[in-house]
Amino acid sequence: MKRLGIVYHPDYLLHVPPFEHPESPERLQAVMERLEKAKLLEKTAQITPEFADEGDVLAVHDRKYLDQLEKACRRGDMTLDAGDTYLCRHSYNISLLSAGGAIAGAKAVAEGSLDRVFCAIRPPGHHASRDVGMGFCLLNNVAVAAKYLQARFDVGKILIVDWDVHHGNGTQSVFLEDPSVFFFSVHEHPTFIYPGTGRRWEIGKGKGEGATLNAPMAPGSGDDEYRVVFDQVLTPAVERFRPEFVLVSAGFDAHADDPLADIRLSYEGYRYMTRAVIGLAERFCGGKLVSVLEGGYEISSLTNCIEIHVREMLEE
Amino acid sequence: MFVARRMQKNPVTMSPATSLYEAQEMMRARRILQIPVTSEDGRLVGILSDRDIRGTVLPVGMIPGFTAEEAEKFLKNTPVERVMTRKVITATLTDTLEDAIGLLLNYKINSLPVVDDENRVVGIISRTNVLEAFIEVTGMGVVSSRLDVVVPDKPGALAQLVGIISSFQVNITSVLTTGHLESGAMTNFLRIATLNVGPIRKAIEEAGFELLDPSKFLSR
Repeated sequence: MKRLGIVYHPDYLLHVPPFEHPESPERLQAVMERLEKAKLLEKTAQITPEFADEGDVLAVHDRKYLDQLEKACRRGDMTLDAGDTYLCRHSYNISLLSAGGAIAGAKAVAEGSLDRVFCAIRPPGHHASRDVGMGFCLLNNVAVAAKYLQARFDVGKILIVDWDVHHGNGTQSVFLEDPSVFFFSVHEHPTFIYPGTGRRWEIGKGKGEGATLNAPMAPGSGDDEYRVVFDQVLTPAVERFRPEFVLVSAGFDAHADDPLADIRLSYEGYRYMTRAVIGLAERFCGGKLVSVLEGGYEISSLTNCIEIHVREMLEE
Repeated sequence: MFVARRMQKNPVTMSPATSLYEAQEMMRARRILQIPVTSEDGRLVGILSDRDIRGTVLPVGMIPGFTAEEAEKFLKNTPVERVMTRKVITATLTDTLEDAIGLLLNYKINSLPVVDDENRVVGIISRTNVLEAFIEVTGMGVVSSRLDVVVPDKPGALAQLVGIISSFQVNITSVLTTGHLESGAMTNFLRIATLNVGPIRKAIEEAGFELLDPSKFLSR
């Protein structure tokens, strides 16, 4: 059995939509209830995160954007830029707590007090770029955690695997020219789904050329197609890159039952992907793996997927 | 949309006396395949494409003993006016992008010099510029989701569809319409500025529109 940590804070439920919205507190409530019912909380270490330090957030986001976000929440704005990314009065603080959750997970693994961590956090982060929040995301949790590991723990090369069904455009933009962070995203083909980026030829820029890899999947793809991508596209790339730490942007909206997309992964598909990232972490990083929750909007498949994901990481 | 908005302004031109060798170098340096040829007062007298150069060198190259040095000499000694196309298909400033696309297709050519009333070259529009315009029309690169909706080919149908989308306070970033597989209906490809397509899809279907499932386009 591995020493697995679960990051959670009850205040994550305070980021509340002002209108009917798929990214709701109920998602996380259901996830935690499931982990308890499945007796997985007693087998894991509970980590209570703190607010992310401003300095750690500023390594990814512009000061101007943080100020804008904080003001918008204080003013009581309902959305960011009149889009579908909602705000409430607590959202700025809770997004700091969400980024702090990813940091807490990264810290526990980097210090060696735990082998792996799953961060049950919200709001999600992978669409948030340096100066814009979008797609339900305010701060880019996984990017903040990566920068934190490099700054505070002297980690060199980091692999980010993003299997949320939507392209991780925010994370990609943050590390586009950074050769030290290899960003891999597998997602539904951008012609058919939000945000419309993540095409085959987006491979990074300047010094970061070759350290971004996108696998756009045709609508209707499922386990078999994903397996091919993990075995034949991701694995050889990681063998060349040789990371020291693996972060996962774990979205569970690529499951067949999720209403927001047309990808048809089964539970076995998620089991396979979890094993794949564990395998890569074991091979190259002494097992250092932190998984961060992104999307996943259909409660039943979300909770089932996360139970599988956590069980696989625990290796009971 | 007029061609002026899409053409490349200040295009490269050359005089009829320019050698083929120089023309080839210009094409390589600027990565272009056609160069309009103009008289001293800037009027269009012809156009030279990379194929004109190759077509000239190729038969000469068949002569036994013809070396690379001789080929270079040949290119340096041949002015473009000897091989250029004199009857140039052109676009004018009052032509629209559709006119330009029609000309490019009808004459199976890659680019059109754009001329003013005095036949002076003011721009050039190529198939690449048309592709750029098309990409813009598809809304690629704008953060958005896509809906493929079959709309009955009758007045008011599209308005009803747009009404449903606007009731969600969501912006439409692009609309493309193509003929549907069956007559009496059109397929509309809409891009909308939201990740949250679920409720909008549901409302559209409840109103009686058919949504296309992109996964069915691929024979698996």
